[in-house]
Amino acid sequence: MGPQLSWYLALSAILFTIGAVGVIVKRNVIAMFMCIELMLNAVNLSFVAFSSYFQDVTGQLFVFIVMTVAAAEAAVGLGIIITIFRNRETLDVDDASILKL
Amino acid sequence: MTTLLFIIFAGLAIGSAIAMVSQSNPLYSAISLIGVFISLASIYVTLAAPFIAAVQVIVYAGAIMVLVIFVIMLLNVEHSAPRRRRLKFLLPMSIGMAGILLAETAFILYSVQTAENRLPGNISNVGLTHSIGEGLFTSYLLPFEVTSILLLMAIVGAMSLARRTTILSSTARVVPGAQVLAMDIVNPRAVGDMRPVETETTHEAAHLLGVDFQSDRNQED
Amino acid sequence: MDWNNQYIHSVVLIVAITIAFLTIMLLVAATVLAERRVLAFIQGRLGPNRVGYGGVLQPFADFIKTMMKEDLVPDQSTRFVFLLAPMIAIITAIMAIVVYPFGPTITLPFLGTFPLRIAQFDVALLYVLGVTSVGVYGIALAGWSSNNKYSLMGGLRSSAQMISYELALGLSLIGVILLSGTLDIYQIVEQQSGWYGLQWNILYQPLGFILYLIAAIAETNRVPFDLPEAETELVAGFHTEYSSIKFLLFFNAEYINMITVSMLATTLFLGGWNGPGVAQFPLLGVVYFFAKILFFLFLYIWLRGTLPRFRFDQLMNFGWKFLLPAAILNIVLTATVLFLMDWLRR
Repeated sequence: MGPQLSWYLALSAILFTIGAVGVIVKRNVIAMFMCIELMLNAVNLSFVAFSSYFQDVTGQLFVFIVMTVAAAEAAVGLGIIITIFRNRETLDVDDASILKL
Repeated sequence: MTTLLFIIFAGLAIGSAIAMVSQSNPLYSAISLIGVFISLASIYVTLAAPFIAAVQVIVYAGAIMVLVIFVIMLLNVEHSAPRRRRLKFLLPMSIGMAGILLAETAFILYSVQTAENRLPGNISNVGLTHSIGEGLFTSYLLPFEVTSILLLMAIVGAMSLARRTTILSSTARVVPGAQVLAMDIVNPRAVGDMRPVETETTHEAAHLLGVDFQSDRNQED
Repeated sequence: MDWNNQYIHSVVLIVAITIAFLTIMLLVAATVLAERRVLAFIQGRLGPNRVGYGGVLQPFADFIKTMMKEDLVPDQSTRFVFLLAPMIAIITAIMAIVVYPFGPTITLPFLGTFPLRIAQFDVALLYVLGVTSVGVYGIALAGWSSNNKYSLMGGLRSSAQMISYELALGLSLIGVILLSGTLDIYQIVEQQSGWYGLQWNILYQPLGFILYLIAAIAETNRVPFDLPEAETELVAGFHTEYSSIKFLLFFNAEYINMITVSMLATTLFLGGWNGPGVAQFPLLGVVYFFAKILFFLFLYIWLRGTLPRFRFDQLMNFGWKFLLPAAILNIVLTATVLFLMDWLRR
C-alpha cells in the first residue's frame, strides 16, 4: 500500500510545531536559530512529498531555492550573532531585548 | 517495505527534533539537528528525490551545521542559566499553542481526502538530475540567477560582519616607554605587513593603538 | 539469477557488501604495511620485516597490540561526543565504497550474470561528496571534546582545511561530469571503455586530474597537507587523547579515506576496470582496478617520503587563492570546448 500523502504532511506539521515550540522556549540565540532551520526543513519535506505524489518537478526546484536561501541566511545570521556576542558578552536573548548595550 | 522505512525514518526525525529542543547544551542540540537532517534526507530518497537528498546532506548537514558548530566552539557557550521566574508561563503556553496548531493541521488533513494518495512507484523520473536540471535552466532560470546574486550578497555581508575591527581587547594597556611596533598590529587592515613603526613616547603608542592611556600620576598615590 | 526477486537480491547484496568490506580491510592492512616498508626504503632503511615472511603479519600484530592498550576516557561532561566522534569518522569513511564498480559484468556458470558493484544510482558522485562532507564532523568533534588545547587547535585547523579543499574537490570533478553527462559512476566508467584506452578521462581533463589529486591529498590530511596531525607541531592533533580502539578507528578511517579517494580517481579519470583484454576475461577488470588503486596508494606514500609540509596559512592561501580559481578555469575551458565542438558539428 505504501505511505499516504497525508502521513508525510503530518510528519512535516509535527516537525514544524516542534521547531516553533523551540523558538519560543529557547533562550540561547544559536539554539533559536537552529529551531528556525528545523522549521524550514519541515516545509521542504512537504514540498518534496507533494512533488513526488503529483509527479511535478516544481516542488523539488523550490526546495533547491529554499536550501540556498537558508544557507545564505545561516551565514549572515551567524555573523550577526558573533557581533552581538562581541558587544554584549552574552548569548541570552532576554538580555538583548532592548537596543541599549 | 516503504511503509516500514517511512516509520523508521520518521521516528528518527521526530526523536532527534525533540532531543534538539530539550537539550540545554547547544552542541548536543546541533548534533541532534544533524540527525534530523540525515533522516529527512533518507525520507527524500524513499520519495524518489535522490538529487534533493544528496543536496540536503551536502548543504545542510555538511556546510550549514559545520558553520553552526564552529560558531558554538568559537563562542564557547556554556549551559544556559536557570530560567528566571517571570518566564515560566511560556512553556505551558507554548505547548497549548502547539496543540492548537496540531489540531488545525489534523482538521485540514481530514478534510482533504481527494488528493491522489498513492505513491506511483520508484520508476518515476521526476527526481532525477536530468529533470531538475531541465526545470532549473529553462522555466525557472530567473529564480536561479537571482539566487546566485543572493549568495553573493550573503558572502559580502558575512565577511563584513565578522571582520575584526580591532586586534586588542578593551582592557589592554601600553607598556611605558618608546617602542617599535609592526604595521600588522597598528593597522588591523594591513595584515601581514611587517614594516616597523617607531613611537617616541607612551602617549603616542597608546594613541596609535587606540588604547586608553593611564598616566603614571594616578598610580603613584 | 532472478534480479527482480526481492529476497535473492537482498541476499546477494549482503554477500557483496561483506566481500567488499573484507577486501577494504585487507587493503588497509596492506597499505599500513606498505607505507612503513616503502617509506623505509625511501629513507634508506629496511622497515619492519620480522613478523611473518617479509613483515606481512605486521599490521595484524599492530592491531592486537593497540587493542590491548588501556582505554582512556577523559572525565568530563562531553563524554558522549568523545565517544561519538571516531564512530562518525569510520562510518562515513566506509559508506563511500558502496558506489564504485569493481569490475565489468561477469558470468558464472550456474549462477548467472553479475554486475560487480554494490549499488548503482543516479546521483552517486553527489553521494560521495556528501559523505565526505559529513566526515568533517568526526575530526571537529574529536578536537573539541578532548578538552585539550592542542586537540582543539588541531581539530579546528584540520576541519577548516577539509572544508576549504572540499570545494576545490567538487569543482574539479565538474569537468568530468560535463564530459560524461551523468553523475552515475558506473556509466562514467562504461563510457571510458573501448578505443584501446584513448577514451580515459585523464587525456581530456589533465588539469582537472591534477587539481583533483591535490585536493584529495589535502582532504585526507596527508603530507604535504598534514600540519593538523604532525607530531612535531601539535603532539598528535585532534586524536591526542584517544587510545586503543578509538584511535584505531581514526587511524583506519584515514587509510580508508585514502583508498576511497584513490578509487574515485581511478573510476573517474583512469577508466576504472578498463584495460587490455577485459572483453574476453572479465575478471581481469578487477585486477586492473586494484592495480590502479595500488598505484595511487604508492603515489601517496611516495609523496609522504619526499615532500616537506605546508604551514597552515600557506595551505589555506593555496586552497582558496590558487586551487579554487584554477578549478573554475577548468570548468570554463571544458564548457567552452564542448560548446564549440557541438556548434561545429551542426
